[in-house]
Amino acid sequence: MPPTPPKTPNALLHGALDALILKTLTRGPSHGYAVARFIEDTTGDAFLIEDGSLYPALYRLERKGWVEAEWGTSELGRRAKLYRLTPAGRAQLAAEVATWKKFSAGVSKVFAT
Amino acid sequence: MKRSLRSWLWRVPLDQEFDEEIELHLEMRTRELIDRGIDPAEARAMAIRKMGDLAHVKATCVDEGRKRDREMRVALFLEELRDDITFAFRQLRAAPAFTIVATLTLALGIGANSAIFALVDATLLRPLPYANPDRLVTIWETSAATPRGFASPPDMLDWKSRSRTFENLAAFTPGVGSMVVAARDGTAETVSRQWVTAGIFDVLGVKPIAGRTFLPEDEQQMAKRVVISEGYWTSRFDRDRAIVGSDIKMDGQLFTIIGVAPKEFEILGRTSMWAMQPFPKTLPPRARGAYQLQVVGRMKPGVAIQAAQSDLAAVADGLAREFPAYNQGRTVTLEPMHDTMIGSDLKTTSMLFLGVVGFVLLICCANVANLLLARATARARELAVRSALGAGRRRIIRQLLTESVVLSIIGGALGIGVGAAILRVAPVLIPAGLLPATVTLTFDLRIVAFCAITALIVGVVFGIAPAFQATKVSASEAMGADGRTTVGGGGRIRGLLVIGEVATAVLLLFGAGLLLRTLMAVQSYDRGYRADNVLTMLVDPLGSAYPPPVKQQQFYDQVEAEVRALPGVADAGWSSGLPLGESVFGEYLFNYEVAGDAPLDPAHQPATGYQIVSPTYFSTLELPIVAGRNFDARDINGGPRVLIVNEAFARSLAPRNPIGLRVTVRPVDSPNDQPITLEIVGVARQVKLHPDDRTDYVQMYTPLLQDPIGDINLLIKPVTGRADALAPAVRAAIARVDRQQLVSVSNITTLEDIEWAATGRHRFRAVMVAAFAVLSLVLAMVGVFGILAYSVQQRVRDFGLRRALGATTGDVLRLVIGSAIRVIAIGAAIGLVLSVATGRLITSMLFGVQPLDVPTFVLVVIVLAATAALSIAGPAWRAAKIDPAVALRAK
Repeated sequence: MPPTPPKTPNALLHGALDALILKTLTRGPSHGYAVARFIEDTTGDAFLIEDGSLYPALYRLERKGWVEAEWGTSELGRRAKLYRLTPAGRAQLAAEVATWKKFSAGVSKVFAT
Repeated sequence: MKRSLRSWLWRVPLDQEFDEEIELHLEMRTRELIDRGIDPAEARAMAIRKMGDLAHVKATCVDEGRKRDREMRVALFLEELRDDITFAFRQLRAAPAFTIVATLTLALGIGANSAIFALVDATLLRPLPYANPDRLVTIWETSAATPRGFASPPDMLDWKSRSRTFENLAAFTPGVGSMVVAARDGTAETVSRQWVTAGIFDVLGVKPIAGRTFLPEDEQQMAKRVVISEGYWTSRFDRDRAIVGSDIKMDGQLFTIIGVAPKEFEILGRTSMWAMQPFPKTLPPRARGAYQLQVVGRMKPGVAIQAAQSDLAAVADGLAREFPAYNQGRTVTLEPMHDTMIGSDLKTTSMLFLGVVGFVLLICCANVANLLLARATARARELAVRSALGAGRRRIIRQLLTESVVLSIIGGALGIGVGAAILRVAPVLIPAGLLPATVTLTFDLRIVAFCAITALIVGVVFGIAPAFQATKVSASEAMGADGRTTVGGGGRIRGLLVIGEVATAVLLLFGAGLLLRTLMAVQSYDRGYRADNVLTMLVDPLGSAYPPPVKQQQFYDQVEAEVRALPGVADAGWSSGLPLGESVFGEYLFNYEVAGDAPLDPAHQPATGYQIVSPTYFSTLELPIVAGRNFDARDINGGPRVLIVNEAFARSLAPRNPIGLRVTVRPVDSPNDQPITLEIVGVARQVKLHPDDRTDYVQMYTPLLQDPIGDINLLIKPVTGRADALAPAVRAAIARVDRQQLVSVSNITTLEDIEWAATGRHRFRAVMVAAFAVLSLVLAMVGVFGILAYSVQQRVRDFGLRRALGATTGDVLRLVIGSAIRVIAIGAAIGLVLSVATGRLITSMLFGVQPLDVPTFVLVVIVLAATAALSIAGPAWRAAKIDPAVALRAK
């Protein structure tokens, strides 16, 4: 097994990943790779995850009805499984963002003292 | 809806779906790395590495996907179910006549079944209302002559102390006696009392609802204490708790009320109170011969009844060796207490009814299935359209089944009402004494649950054939038809259903016929005596106040004189037993042999019943003395012992003339008792002990003067009018003789009522089965009418054409009636074959009629033919009236 890159603290990552995926999908339906790339690009090194951990999250979100999957065509003309945000997913994202903001504001206050 | 569509339309296995998705990801990641200038082979390896533990990821995803699919299927199912149910209700509303007929049919079937289920539940399924009832057994003391005999007190005590498999043993006397107490208004009142041993409440695990129950000390002190029943506590003392501890004067003695037992305890006997049978510390040896106790044992936890049986049998063997005089040849038989309390007759009756209503329900199902089939044919086009629009056959079957289940659930809900109504009137129909005190018919959640489950099953049973039938017609065929020529393939199934209905109805009619013939036989038998308008009451003068023989006999003589002096009394007499009623003693009691003959082996000695009577008994009952003489003034106490025998007894002595013959009698099972020798002075006509006795009962009568007894029936015959109208005057006459109020008078009834009660279970079975049979016949004929009317309607053009081509009205009628008769005849033939095959099953309930009774066969056929004619008449009339011109023009 090759050495794996250091990860961000697990607790933060786990709850945040769902929210990040939902946020990513607000830009339109994407396949898994595109979601992974977008998260990498926008968070920089702050959010280094294994590509593999993305998929259980996607499946979980689909089961909860927050995203739905459909087979479509990727930008390269390949058959690809595309995930799309559902109205329920949009509502969930709004709720998560609100919670996150409250949480980070609180934490920031503590650090500011 | 999109989500559900996806899961239904797209059926690639989850792991393939996952592999394809990951492969795309890897390829795109590899391409990205190559674009960044990494060597292609290395790039692919890096992409895979970046993926992490792929096997674990895959397992998680596939698992998640599976759960999602499952949840979605459930959601989809519920969604479709809701749609189906909504649709079903719309369909049922659109056809109100069909809906009403079908739901009422089902309500009748399910309601009748729920009522019978209540009976079966109470008698067969429900345990006794005590703690751990499966550990309670009845212990019979048995001998060659009595397979289920009672036990003597010393034997019971020895069983208790010597057995190892029982926690405790206790006993009660099977009969309920009576005591005289002061009523609220101060007059003497006779209340029922049962003897028990002190431990009976503990063995059954019954807790008092006030005060306490008996303790072993009460028994040892021979204390005068009683426990009263909840019913008596309520009616006499208004549930006053202060009554506990107070004294009450009974039979002239003071008893202390120590507690109140709840209703469940009345299982032993319907009585107002329980008193302890006096058990002296040392019982005399002959107490071993007093077989009077019904013993109940509570087995230790985990003990099987067989183990307890062999344990007690060993104890009984020991007793037989120690006390050969009384216990030789006696052993024990254990029986679950539930079986003792319910009785085999009630069990078989319950099973009979269950079978009968089961058949009725099947007929109901067949009728509704028939209606559905007819509707399915009419709806063929609608279904074809649905299937053309993409609904699969399974989907349509599901829809149709939902409709039938909705129908049956409505029927079931109404059935609950029908069942509740039947149970409400049931107590009037059920003969007193058929149900033991434990059995109460209640309408509770169990019955509702039964209705619900029955409705569901019934819905599927009657719905499945029509649903499959309806979806068999191909879409193009049904849509192309103009609705006049589609006959549908349902015709054959419908014919078969009606044949089945007729067969079942014939089977039930036949059973009802046999039971009705049995009822007629037990009601019209030759009972031997002529008087039936006779008042009877049980009179029990207190032994200490009226000691036998002199004072007691004086009392009887005075009462008889007072009663005879009453206006309207034609005759009066005394007897220890009543025809068809319970004897004071039970059944065969004495072995007998002719004095001077070589002694017979005790096991083979004939046995006789025993009744003590006054000379006036025979005239009161109008029971002829067919030979010899009646008892008279010669037969005094201390004089030569005499007896009168009945005809069966006399026959057993043939060819000798019984008159003047001397016989020796000895109590059954007591070879060491001193025999008594008596001379036969007369022969009385045979009287039946039970209305359905298959053999003549052997009976002997001894004169009251020579055989004093303190618990005796007074019989009074009026000159004219109803016998029971004399009751108040007779009670007043007894009170004039019994000024101290020390005589209990109970069981006031008439011979007519006793006879009615004695034939009660036959009447109950016959009336119930006949009612169900009539119901099934009506339903079956509705079925015949249904298919006939339908086929006439379908063939209007056909008949019209025939008429136009020269067929006469008679020809058309022959066609219609012929097809109906074919169905009925086949059904009747099958039903009669089934009747022959199953008649044996109810042999034990029959009397005076054979299972293959020809008159019953003939009667069933006549009844069937008559009702069939009614059901055929309408459709045949309609077919005969068809006007060819109108029929052919009609669309």
